[in-house]
Amino acid sequence: MDGWIQFAKGPLFAVTFLVMVLGLARQIGLQIYLLTVRKGKRLKDVPWSSMARETLSWTIPVRHIEPGTGVFSAASFLMHIGIILVPLFLVDHVALWNQLLGTNLPALPLGVADVLALLTIACAFLLLVYRSFITRHRLVSRPSDYLLLVAVLLPFISGTMASHPAVSPFPWEAMMLTHILSAELLFVLTPFTKLAHVVLFFFDRISAVHWQLRPGAGDKVAQALTGREVKIS
Amino acid sequence: MESATVIQSKSAKGGPRNHVFPYHLLETPSENLVDRFLEAFAWVLEYTDYRPLLDTYSRTTAKCNRCAVACPILLASGDPRDIPCYRTNILLDIYRRYFTIDGWVKSRFTTPFELTEDVINEMGDVFYRCTVCRRCTRSCPLGFDHGLITRLGRYLLSLVGIAPKALQVSVEEQLHGETHNTSKVPQKGLMDVLSFLSEEMDERLGVELEFPTDKVGRDHVFFCAVSDYLMEPDTLMGNAAVLYAAGDWDRWTIGLCNYDGINYGLFYSDWHLENIIKQLVSEVERLRGRNILIGECGHASRAAHDFIPTFMGKRAPPVLNFMEYTLDCLERGKISLDPGIVTERVTYHDPCNIARSGWIVEQPRKILRSFIPDFVDMAPRGQDNFCCGGGGGLVSIDEMHEYRMEIAGKVKAEQIARTGAEIVVAPCANCKKQLKELVEHYELPCKVMGLHDLILQAIEIPGGKSTAERKEEAALFAI
Repeated sequence: MDGWIQFAKGPLFAVTFLVMVLGLARQIGLQIYLLTVRKGKRLKDVPWSSMARETLSWTIPVRHIEPGTGVFSAASFLMHIGIILVPLFLVDHVALWNQLLGTNLPALPLGVADVLALLTIACAFLLLVYRSFITRHRLVSRPSDYLLLVAVLLPFISGTMASHPAVSPFPWEAMMLTHILSAELLFVLTPFTKLAHVVLFFFDRISAVHWQLRPGAGDKVAQALTGREVKIS
Repeated sequence: MESATVIQSKSAKGGPRNHVFPYHLLETPSENLVDRFLEAFAWVLEYTDYRPLLDTYSRTTAKCNRCAVACPILLASGDPRDIPCYRTNILLDIYRRYFTIDGWVKSRFTTPFELTEDVINEMGDVFYRCTVCRRCTRSCPLGFDHGLITRLGRYLLSLVGIAPKALQVSVEEQLHGETHNTSKVPQKGLMDVLSFLSEEMDERLGVELEFPTDKVGRDHVFFCAVSDYLMEPDTLMGNAAVLYAAGDWDRWTIGLCNYDGINYGLFYSDWHLENIIKQLVSEVERLRGRNILIGECGHASRAAHDFIPTFMGKRAPPVLNFMEYTLDCLERGKISLDPGIVTERVTYHDPCNIARSGWIVEQPRKILRSFIPDFVDMAPRGQDNFCCGGGGGLVSIDEMHEYRMEIAGKVKAEQIARTGAEIVVAPCANCKKQLKELVEHYELPCKVMGLHDLILQAIEIPGGKSTAERKEEAALFAI
């Protein structure tokens, strides 16, 4: 078992992490290609600053809470806080980062990390309940929406159990291996699924760019479909 | 060939439901609908820039359902098909399945999503239940523009011949007809209206004016929704009064070859949008005008303001909405408005096309507050306003009247009632028509007017009758 854990922590971690970094870099590259090459000439009227402001205001969505969205927004927000902070700043993770990158990052106190992890698990469960039992949520959900929530839950549950072996009903090794493998599964899934919003969060918000339609495109489509030039009289 | 589209879909409580939409026009035979739709989709992806948009959206859609509480239609109907994300996902599903490698691979291993005539017909239904007000975009944590996707869906549908008759007939006349405008107002008809407006202004304001037509080299070439010439004389006289009082009477003109600011292409077709824009700019170039001055109309303003720079590049003349012009005149002291004339409680409806982006929100309020003692705002207001229920071209579709009243406009009617206003100012021709019908339908104790209808009452006219005198005359006339 120890050999498996070492393998998962070593080469497998390196490969999956690289897949995530390269995959997300590709996503960013594609977006920049779209903006500079395909839309380059039509970008001067785009209100970049207001779009950036909107993006920032959504990172703390307090002023966006409307009647009927309170519980959902709070659960979603808390889940995201946990997902960002715990993997980066848990003491054990910080040790790994420092070893890997040669940095000296501060760590979250253990108690805080525990609370955050438990909150994240609870919130993810709540979101899963929303998706499963509320019609309007279920109607727009595809299998991947449920599976990805489970995929996010896995490393948090196994990680919490691994860090508290006294209360865990499963052997520490099994939990640790599950924790590492499920986290690595997330690394691989991130660039290829909706988890890519980790970097596309801003680029989703640039619909003002997409409204800048390409001149002449409508004529070309009409010509392709009718086989003749369609002109106005 | 003309025929009705029969839509089969699931209702909120489950079970099949049939709809007949007589407002859809199927110009081409309905055979091979699926193949033709996919072919049209493929060409659109080939020649336009929608692919990156669809790629990004289909990769990140979170389907969190926050948009559900923002949509006034869903709030009134409770029908899950009206969830913006649900509608967007119909199109994204088609894109994923037929135009991405992921979709192709998945289709080899699972039972894939299949595009059928039923799905296309459902699109014909749900994509025209939406008013494309884009309120949902502001409540989407990821900023998805469901309005843009709805518009794309409508564009694709139009390419296989599915589009509302009312919109198609209007744009056909505008692009290929003799009158080149959506209401078929001939040049002679326009001249008659303008001479009627001159007489009316003489009688009411005490000034003799001749409307400038086809004057070359003027600063402003004026376009309004052409229907205003037939239905909203007070709005036009209000516009004219501001131009006269500000001393700009010799600086503007109405073109006689094209005098319609309406652009229904904005609602459903890239081809029409672009060609109507080109037609408009050609008229300005013919008259060697410097600016385009658009009347109060919301969608005409947005179509010109947002899409002239997009399509015309360096040839794009600046676009000014009339409310911007009036505020500028007011702030520079070129006009003055008498605050003692309009004493009723007034509220203001933000047309989605000019308010959602934040372009025109405060300008009309500044004008109104300057001469209306009892001005109240609706809640929510400005960028977060509720749609009147007639946006996205729906107001032109008479067959949808009941839907617009009972569902699309219900939230708005409640919102107006809460303000207790006696006058609702709605600057957009579409909103105005919808709100007038709503007020009648729900028997609300208020009337709907344009901003410049009120300005016409309160503006001081140099050398003309005083505002008090005009008010007295109007009261006598009302008796």
